Amino acid sequence: MADEEDPTFEEENEEIGGGAEGGQGKRKRLFSKELRCMVYGFGDDQNPYTESVDVLEDLVIEFVTEMTHKAMSIGRQGRVQVEDIIFLTRKDPGKFARVKDLFTMNEELKRARKAFDEANYDYGS
Amino acid sequence: MDNACESPTEKGGETGESDETAAAPGSPGITDADGIPEEADGDADGELKEASAEEGELKSQDISDLTAVEREDSSLLTPAAKKLKIDIKEKKEKKQKVDEDEIQKMQILVSSFSEEQLNRYEMYRRSAFPKAAIKRLIQSITGTSVSQNVVIAMSGISKVFVGEVVEEALDVCEKWGEMPPLQPKHMREAVRRLKSKGQIPNSKHKKIIFF
Repeated sequence: MADEEDPTFEEENEEIGGGAEGGQGKRKRLFSKELRCMVYGFGDDQNPYTESVDVLEDLVIEFVTEMTHKAMSIGRQGRVQVEDIIFLTRKDPGKFARVKDLFTMNEELKRARKAFDEANYDYGS
Repeated sequence: MDNACESPTEKGGETGESDETAAAPGSPGITDADGIPEEADGDADGELKEASAEEGELKSQDISDLTAVEREDSSLLTPAAKKLKIDIKEKKEKKQKVDEDEIQKMQILVSSFSEEQLNRYEMYRRSAFPKAAIKRLIQSITGTSVSQNVVIAMSGISKVFVGEVVEEALDVCEKWGEMPPLQPKHMREAVRRLKSKGQIPNSKHKKIIFF
C-alpha cells in the first residue's frame, strides 16, 4: 500500500489487519448484542454479519476514545465534563441536538421523580 | 416510578426509558414527539446558558434580563426586556405548536406501520449502549472517575454516530447495487466518506492548511 498517501488509509488497513486476527489485540467484544439490535433499528438486516458488527464496535470505541481525549484537552484539563462534550459536538447538528435533548429529558425525569417522592412523603406523613 | 416516567410525557407506549428516545440525525423533530413540556425546555436552556456564560458580560446581561422577565415585575422591565419577553413568549408558543404537530404526525405514522416496521422502530428506540461498559471505557482512558451525565451524553452521541455510519453504509450498499446485510467494505467506504465530510473526529492526522 502507498505510504505517501493519506495516513487515514493506513489506519483503515490496521483495522482490517486487526479484524483478521479477531479484533484489535483480541479484545473481548463489549457491545456485540446491543450493536446488533442497533443496526437492525437503523436499517440493516435482522441478522447482521458478525464482521460488520465487529468493525462497528471498533469504530465506536475509537470514536469514544477520540472524544474523551479531546474533552480532556479542553476546558478543565484532565477531566471530562458535560460542557466539553457540548462544545465538541457543536459543529455536528445531529449529535448536538441529541445531547441537548438527552439533558432536557434527564432534567425532566429528575424533576418528575422528585415531585413523585415528595408526594409520597406528604401522603405518608 | 412508572407514574413519574409517564406524567411529563403525553404519549404512552414506548416512553418508559429516558435515553431510548432516539433522534435520527438531521431530524430533531422526532424527539419532540414525546411532548417535552416547554418549562423543562426553558430551564434546560437556562442551565446550558449558565454553563457557557462564564465569560462575556453580554450573556450575564441576558440572564439578568430573563430573571427580571420571569418575575414579571414591570417596574424592573426595561424596554429591551419587554421586547425580549414578547419574543420569548412567541417563540415558546410557536415551539409548542410545532411540537404538537410533530407529535400528531408521529402518532399517525406509527399507527400505520406494518409489523416488521414496528419491530424495527422498537429496536431503533430501545437499543442503547450499556452504561457500565461505556463508563468503564471512559474511565480507562481518563484514569479518573466521570460523572453519570458524561456517560449518558457519550452513550447518546455514540448511538447517533452508529446511525450516521449505518445510514451512509446503506447508501453505499445501494449505490454499489448490492443487498443488505451490510458488509465491512460498505462500512469502511461509509467511514471514508464521513471522514471527508468531517463527521468523524480524527486527531491523529495533522491537517496542513496552506502548502
